[in-house]
Amino acid sequence: MVKFYENSFSYDYQWPAVTLAYFLRYPNPYSKHVVSSDTLSSHLDTQTGNLHVTRLHLKRGKLPASVARFLPKIKESYILEKSIVDVKHQRLETETRNLDWEGVLSVVESQVYTPGSVSTVSELETAAAGVGRTDVTTVVRFESRLGGAARNTQSDGMAGRWFSNWTTGSVQGSIELVGMRRMMEGFGGRREGMKVVLEQLRERGFVGVIKEQRQGGWERWKKAWRGEGVERTDD
Amino acid sequence: ECSEKKERYDTCFIKWYSEKYLRGEGSTDECAELFKEYKSCLNAALKQKGIHNMIEEARKTSPNNNNVKGLK
Repeated sequence: MVKFYENSFSYDYQWPAVTLAYFLRYPNPYSKHVVSSDTLSSHLDTQTGNLHVTRLHLKRGKLPASVARFLPKIKESYILEKSIVDVKHQRLETETRNLDWEGVLSVVESQVYTPGSVSTVSELETAAAGVGRTDVTTVVRFESRLGGAARNTQSDGMAGRWFSNWTTGSVQGSIELVGMRRMMEGFGGRREGMKVVLEQLRERGFVGVIKEQRQGGWERWKKAWRGEGVERTDD
Repeated sequence: ECSEKKERYDTCFIKWYSEKYLRGEGSTDECAELFKEYKSCLNAALKQKGIHNMIEEARKTSPNNNNVKGLK
């Protein structure tokens, strides 16, 4: 069973800034679950001019109770992120997916960031003035293959044995729904995270942003920017 | 564990990315040396955690792969 989710969003910043924010988005106050990010590879394709970056993010968190009931408590999980920056055509394509428990639930999120389309005269004027827009379309693919996990030799082999007697279709569907719901709840937080980073980049430049991220100053960003102390969980 | 090397590389990358690459001037990888140092430290840490192989396998799959490997 596979489920898809699609959504579109726009940031009120120019494309180069948004891509920079994308690479600098962790840590931010809305993504406390992301513990670390490491670059696995970075490769410039001299023919196309495209930049290929692969990163690994480590997240700490729990599954929702409805799924955790079936599975051991998951303390850490890894996310693999692949990005391709096409600076000539101003297009950033990203793909992130979970590495652990793929047999239970695989979530693959693909995004495309492009400059926002400018359709009205006033928009043209603001674009010329340096105020920009970037559109991002997101497609998320959820798949649970618990039934097939019985033969899977990965870490979820145990889960496969537990579930081989269940109605695999309904269990898979439920897990996919839980994953979807959780992800949709997380979307708002991720956008807020990007917005905060964009705002900080505008105010301090990347040197300031990196410095604050390394020294823990990023925890204050949310309050300083919005004047509120509301905690929001993130994916 | 590899924080210093990582920080040096990350700073180099972001600086290169925003000052050169985004302006169409990035044609060489200026951070290659720093990356080599960081990467060897990182690989050692990942191997220690036992996830290095999992990552390498996952990286081989293309963006549109339907996780066929999970069916074997």
